[in-house]
Amino acid sequence: MTSHFFWNGDPVAFQPGETIAAALLRAGLADLGQPSNVPGGRVFCGIGACQACVVAVMGAAPVEACLTPAREGLRLGSLPFVGAQHA
Amino acid sequence: MKPTRFGPSLYGTNRFCMASSSPLHVAVIGTGIVGASAAHFLAAAGARVTLLDASGPAAGATGASDGAVSVASKRPGPMMDLARHARAFYVRHERDGLFRGLFHRRSTFLVARTAIEADLVTRHGADLAAAGERVVEVDRATLLARIPGLGDSVCAALEIPDDGHALGYEITQRLLATSRVDIRRNAPVSEIVMRAGRACGVLIRDEFLPADAVLVAAGIGSAPLLGLGEILIPRKGQMAVTDRATTAGPAIDGHLMAASYLAAKRGIVRDNSHIGLVIDPLMTGQFLIGGSREDHRSDHSTDAVTIAAILREALDLYPPLAARRVLRSFAGVRSASRDGLPIVGPHPHRPGVVIATGFEGDGICLGPFMGASAARLLLGERPEADLSSLSPQRLVRAEVHA
Amino acid sequence: MREAPILVVGAGPAGASAAATIAEAGLPVLLIEQRDQFGGAIHRQPAAGNDSHVWRPARHRRNWAGLMARLQACAGRIETRTETIFLGVDSEGRFLFDDRRAACVFARRPRAAIIAVGAVETIRPFPGWELPGVMSAGGAQVLLKETGRPPEGPILVAGSGALLPALAAQLAKAGNPPVAVLERGRPWNAPAALARLALSWGPMSEAAAYATTLATSRVPYRCGAIVTQAEPDGDGLKVGIRVGDQRQVLRVRHLLIHDGIEPNRTGIPLPDPDAAVPVLLAGDGREALGADAAILDGRRAATQVLARLGQATRRMRSDERGLIRARGFQAALTQALHSEPVVPAPETLICRCEGRSYAELAALAPDASAREIRLMGRFGLGACQGRFCGPMIAALRGQPLPAAIPPRWPLRPVSVAALARLTTDETE
Repeated sequence: MTSHFFWNGDPVAFQPGETIAAALLRAGLADLGQPSNVPGGRVFCGIGACQACVVAVMGAAPVEACLTPAREGLRLGSLPFVGAQHA
Repeated sequence: MKPTRFGPSLYGTNRFCMASSSPLHVAVIGTGIVGASAAHFLAAAGARVTLLDASGPAAGATGASDGAVSVASKRPGPMMDLARHARAFYVRHERDGLFRGLFHRRSTFLVARTAIEADLVTRHGADLAAAGERVVEVDRATLLARIPGLGDSVCAALEIPDDGHALGYEITQRLLATSRVDIRRNAPVSEIVMRAGRACGVLIRDEFLPADAVLVAAGIGSAPLLGLGEILIPRKGQMAVTDRATTAGPAIDGHLMAASYLAAKRGIVRDNSHIGLVIDPLMTGQFLIGGSREDHRSDHSTDAVTIAAILREALDLYPPLAARRVLRSFAGVRSASRDGLPIVGPHPHRPGVVIATGFEGDGICLGPFMGASAARLLLGERPEADLSSLSPQRLVRAEVHA
Repeated sequence: MREAPILVVGAGPAGASAAATIAEAGLPVLLIEQRDQFGGAIHRQPAAGNDSHVWRPARHRRNWAGLMARLQACAGRIETRTETIFLGVDSEGRFLFDDRRAACVFARRPRAAIIAVGAVETIRPFPGWELPGVMSAGGAQVLLKETGRPPEGPILVAGSGALLPALAAQLAKAGNPPVAVLERGRPWNAPAALARLALSWGPMSEAAAYATTLATSRVPYRCGAIVTQAEPDGDGLKVGIRVGDQRQVLRVRHLLIHDGIEPNRTGIPLPDPDAAVPVLLAGDGREALGADAAILDGRRAATQVLARLGQATRRMRSDERGLIRARGFQAALTQALHSEPVVPAPETLICRCEGRSYAELAALAPDASAREIRLMGRFGLGACQGRFCGPMIAALRGQPLPAAIPPRWPLRPVSVAALARLTTDETE
């Protein structure tokens, strides 16, 4: 059985216990978005220190993809994900 | 004409009298926004300036504050009037290039969440209008269109459209970068040296630095140098900064100032646990959220209970903050005088010493103008605004009556 | 009232060892781990649904199984909080934690604290290191251990240190050997250091196993070789490399970089074993000596805490000797792989969070204060708050990045809503 979360609107499959980062990378999503004046996101240090893999979460604060277990139905996207919470 | 040690008399009681034709040398103590501004304008007028700081530029309250260049937040009376001068000073120097790109006009919204707060906001709006300020009443629908997501509890608001925003450390950096001044970091001044009845220099550890005049603009560090007793009270303010809500400029179209902040500024509440809430949308797309007002606290530490209380207030006023992360918490130490007014003018009994401190939480707004005014005093010129209500002379009188 | 626990932050080898030692002595432990499983980076376990184990040395498997058995045996005295991030200590002595599952920050007042948060990787930046597709070797290894799956497409491993051949061998065994391993150092130029390394049987037998794997998989291991820059190239990267005087361009999908490790100390409370609430550091977070030494160091810190709390303990002379041996090994390794620092190209990004370049760092006054570096330079002001770029800046400026005093919390960015829901164990 596969579960899914959503990345910028598209479903991404993950296996139980897997982090968001692992699932995104398996789906070939290395580039986590490119805000205008800061470098784009990407999984880098794998231990939550570098903050490069932070992703926006619908209805909550952003999280480090490398630390956070993927969960069914999560709606994730590139930072800064403006306006997501009052859409 | 370049000022020399002969010519110009120091505005008020002091007078330069040493015979020499070399340029006036001023030791400016404190490289915050006030000291940097004074140094800039002194140097522009041809004086030689040595800027001294125990740490470095913007190390004190200048670098640990919000960026409100706000008339809306001022107490009625001289502060409101002086803030209007100070804000006009920003506007003028944004136009002439000095502050280009660093000062941004933006509205302040005074917001109320209860009927009592609504009364306070109305009263404050009337005071602002009486001082000549543009004040616009905003209904909830209009406000929601301007600031989508605003909390349900907001029941009344006024817009002060002519306010602005500038970051103290950026202004300080610009003032220093655009003037020829000698900056000495890690140079704590221990004493102002007097000779023949007037200031002749300062002591930095064991080193004597000669100067023709001294400006004390060292924030909370000013009092020990002045010999006027405990004229300043440290008032700590804890704040939090969030991550970016956007990468295209401020996340919301105005500075949110809760009535709780006005209540503190107008002296209605004086309680160390009181939160005077402001939500300052920074140019980076981040939010700066403050703050506490803790008298007699001069440390820069923050505690979780206070920061959590600030954030609860902020979430109530602006719920979309739930989608943000706090990147850091920090504290600034405001320097408040006993009567709440800044202390600007010649030292009451030390000729050659000028004071500019006690700006409490208004240093970013008032700083550049007050620094320029202090420079004029040191050059023997009359400041652009009437500063008599800020004169250090009042501290002496208060001492006598006490 | 419940007895206040001894706090242990981090459930890697040092933290697990410290927690077990204290719980075995009969004291309650609060064990905090940011991930959903114990293990830290070195003993990272496969994710729950994944049974494809990555090859790792038998010694490591044994060590970890031993620690887990000890924790299991005294589980009743250990309160574990996983998916919980240590946020630091506030001005009133509260230890703060971000419980990510409950989306709530909680505060505790432990009797003592052992902080075992491991190491961070050092990076020597080059233009393009910030691109997607470039990952730290340690980060890639953690992912490999969790998923059992190597990244797809050509991989280049570059930088310096023992992790490079280890990771390359694991990638090879998992089915995707890297195109090359580039080691910045020239160990053959330091024969004395190499001779000292050869005397360390454990690590050297491990190295021999890696070397055999690399040889079998025909992975070239080149010394004196560096990455000069990386550029986006379709789905992958165009990587400029230099081997001696030879320049070359490689097209790869993934570039895994690493230039050693150093203790994860930025913003971490300063160690103070004599304070009313003693704070000790343990493991790679105190001194980067590797996984075996971390177990000894965790026990050393725990013993010190127990002694401080009046519990009779045995001093473990063998542990001290083990730490000294590990220190000697690391020193020899550092010497063998030493290479002179290189000034990065001006456009090289130093602070990724705020997009600040080396040119902008170099423009700061040499005696710039912490405030100036942070506020005016905007270095260390972004989401990582200098925790990642700090060591890089320190290396480039030749002096440590001045730390905020007192150390600031939160150590990591924390949800506004979670912090607003703060709960404390006090009656306030």
